[in-house]
Amino acid sequence: MTIMEPRKHGSSADGAVGGRLSRFEGRLKITGEAVYALEYPAERLAHAVLIQSTIAAGLVTSVAIDDALAAPGVLMVLTPEDDLGLTVSADWQGNRPEEKPYYPLPRQVEFNGQSIVAVIAESREQAEEAARLVRITYAPQEGVASLEDPKAGEGKRLDQLSVAWGDAEAALARSPVRIEATYRTPREYHCAMEPHGLTAAWEGDQLTIWEPSQWAHGMARMYAEWFSLPVENVRIVSPFIGGGFGSKGQPLAYGAVAVAAARKLGRPVRLAVTRPQNFTSYGGRAATRQTIALGATEDGILQAIVHRGASETSVYADVPEQTGAATPILYKVENFSSESRVVPVNTVSPGALRGPGKNPSAFGIECAMEELAHALGMDPLELRLKNYADRDYQSGKPWSTRMLREALTQGAEAFGWARRSAAPRSMRRGNKLIGWGIGCGTFPVIRAPSEAMIRILANGRVQVVSGSIDMGQGTYTILAQTASEALGVPVEEVDVILGDSSLPGAAIAGGSMLAGSITGAVHKAAQAARDELIGLALSEAGSPFRDTGANTLAIAGGRISAREDGPSLTLPQLMAALGRDEIEVRRNTLTDDVQSAEDQKKAWTTMSRVQGPTMGDYSMHSWCAHFAEVEVDEDFGTVRVSRMVSAFDCGRLYNPKLVESQWRGGIIMGIGQALLEEGVIDPRNGRTMNANLGDYLVPTNADIPDLQVISVGVPDLNASALGGKGVGEVGIVGVAPAIANAVFHATGKRVRDLPITLEKLI
Amino acid sequence: MTRTIRLSLDINERRYEIDVEPRVTLLDALRDHAGLSGTKKGCDQGQCGACTCHIDGQRVLSCLTLAAQAEGRKITTIEGIAAANGDLHPVQLAFIEHDAFQCGYCTPGQIMSAVACIREGRTGSDEEIREYMSGNLCRCGAYNSIVAAVREAAEMADA
Repeated sequence: MTIMEPRKHGSSADGAVGGRLSRFEGRLKITGEAVYALEYPAERLAHAVLIQSTIAAGLVTSVAIDDALAAPGVLMVLTPEDDLGLTVSADWQGNRPEEKPYYPLPRQVEFNGQSIVAVIAESREQAEEAARLVRITYAPQEGVASLEDPKAGEGKRLDQLSVAWGDAEAALARSPVRIEATYRTPREYHCAMEPHGLTAAWEGDQLTIWEPSQWAHGMARMYAEWFSLPVENVRIVSPFIGGGFGSKGQPLAYGAVAVAAARKLGRPVRLAVTRPQNFTSYGGRAATRQTIALGATEDGILQAIVHRGASETSVYADVPEQTGAATPILYKVENFSSESRVVPVNTVSPGALRGPGKNPSAFGIECAMEELAHALGMDPLELRLKNYADRDYQSGKPWSTRMLREALTQGAEAFGWARRSAAPRSMRRGNKLIGWGIGCGTFPVIRAPSEAMIRILANGRVQVVSGSIDMGQGTYTILAQTASEALGVPVEEVDVILGDSSLPGAAIAGGSMLAGSITGAVHKAAQAARDELIGLALSEAGSPFRDTGANTLAIAGGRISAREDGPSLTLPQLMAALGRDEIEVRRNTLTDDVQSAEDQKKAWTTMSRVQGPTMGDYSMHSWCAHFAEVEVDEDFGTVRVSRMVSAFDCGRLYNPKLVESQWRGGIIMGIGQALLEEGVIDPRNGRTMNANLGDYLVPTNADIPDLQVISVGVPDLNASALGGKGVGEVGIVGVAPAIANAVFHATGKRVRDLPITLEKLI
Repeated sequence: MTRTIRLSLDINERRYEIDVEPRVTLLDALRDHAGLSGTKKGCDQGQCGACTCHIDGQRVLSCLTLAAQAEGRKITTIEGIAAANGDLHPVQLAFIEHDAFQCGYCTPGQIMSAVACIREGRTGSDEEIREYMSGNLCRCGAYNSIVAAVREAAEMADA
């Protein structure tokens, strides 16, 4: 047993960007003082509960509510009969083609588990009891349960996802070594520990919503559009979010119901989505299926990749899970073809779940590469290095930074890959077969503008103010570090205020784009605040620096000083000398041509200013390589991950301590994906049969070994102002194939459909 | 059901008089009636551990416990484990030090389980810690750091 070296929490040495500062808001979280959305007190609070459909498709023909209305404490029952007066909101880009009505409690059932009725009562217990008295009658229609339902068909091709260069089919046919296989991933769920829900309160036409949000400004805009309000009238409050993983970036039907009920009742309404209802109130990762064919020379040079993917979507929106997202950029290949289809089934529309697209895509290509290595009789590490992509063959652009070779070689070194015995079933420990496998991953650098405000107060404290959010990634911490470094004040003197749509606008905490965006805005604002402070100190009457003849001043350790032997003041002393209560500086990272109020509003509330990874001169991505060891019980087929080493290129790390936590979190979710997680759908009626945390298995502490993580990144100043690339999404990408490849090495059995459960191995 | 009962609950060595329906769980009584929202609701089905608190020093799932069952017993929640002078519990300090959480939502339950786990003497090895901390799910995936924090706090308790 090792004793961890004790470190003093919050030492100022850790306060600069790149330091291992402990989590800034940590004390609030370990004392229970951090307040989450459903914990805000409200006077005269009413409680709403949802009733969800029990059929996959059909019409609601009647809802009998008299018994429920007569139950104690019941205030209101909302059904498809009630026109809530809502209008469809614009899409992510801000496009709103027509003024269509929006029915969050629809008459047409499109999936099992769709919210149909809401019961509002004085207490949640009373609302739940009354909900059991509601009788819904349906006229069922034939539904499609899942991607594998024979009725599902082939779906439709999305031409915008087709990618091709060279002549892949011909090159494949010419290749002396070929493999082809089909890989499947099931429906998967976010399972953030904090269930969804909200508290909504109206004051006249001003609406306040306490709801966990990965994007306060965007959600405020969408609520405003539903309720035909100016966006300024809607305030989303979300300083703490109990996990999101992609699920908390937009308002959902239950939110519209709660807000509408609050307006009708003239009282605040709280709606807590139950854990089972969380499985169908928003979409997780769609089930996917992809076929990959690889062609190579006999010495292992890739000649062609042909990819054909399909993912399920809902019957009312085409939301692809892009199984071709990582396929074109991991390896050097001159002939490539990829096509993707979506297959409508009766499910809630799929959503973004950690590493969207890249994750199932990497499962396909990274398993296929090891199948090719096996066919060639070549070490899978050697095969990957041999086909290392010197540039982005899809866009034709050079990489900004790509330390994937270092990730592979340093990861291999730390793992001890050289000691691998090549043949499957050739390594064992007692009755456990041992297997080693590799999986590479990637996620694009997505850039977006943000805004930030810095306030220097009379008492010398510095406030960083931003509407961005922290769901555990570390926004509070890295913004304190950024302001501390740029301003020259100790991190202990900095306060960070986040999570409110009335504060300066910010990019969504999604697609790994927030940290790079918001540190840029805070850095810019803090430098401007520093310049303003120095300017005032040199020019204002009353400042002891005014007549020193100094051209500039230095700020360090919270003191402002003239060079040489001039005066030196603390910030409070200077603020007093200047006669200022506060200095406030607001800056954004929009370009000069889009600085109008209207442009700014659009930038913070839509995705219209978001830039993809190849929109500049370079192709920019985070990269990783995972090395997994599994133990497979020969008798029972049970698989345990016994150790992992993962090496990452995420550019510069703003706080390695928090980054390592995010990486491990992604890896653990990947272990769940590989071995445990699978939405099980009833083929008769499309019901999610394991809609709870006891049956939909996420990893427990006992499932997880020590995970070694290594950073091989270098600062990438094309990717962001301070040189970081995305951290949160990439951690999961490549984990599942590393484990699947290790299971093959252990057992000689290739499992191509996740999760890898024991019945597939024995 | 509209009848309420008056309960007198001993929470964190303070007395709370609350009027609740008999069906109200200890979890809801804490969060919605006693104003102690540090105890979290993650599933309301006894599957996630976020609602873990102590009754007479033993860890329980407050979502599977009726408030009325806790009357006359000593209830301890995350708000009640720091010392009277405000000094944090060693487990709380270790959680910050090892970054044993991200979003913080499972954290009160993890800490309450960790305090009990150490008291139960189930910290003899990392494997044992993992096993006896497995009733508390953490979707952010802080498990390595939770084990490190529990190990360190247990060693401090032994010292």
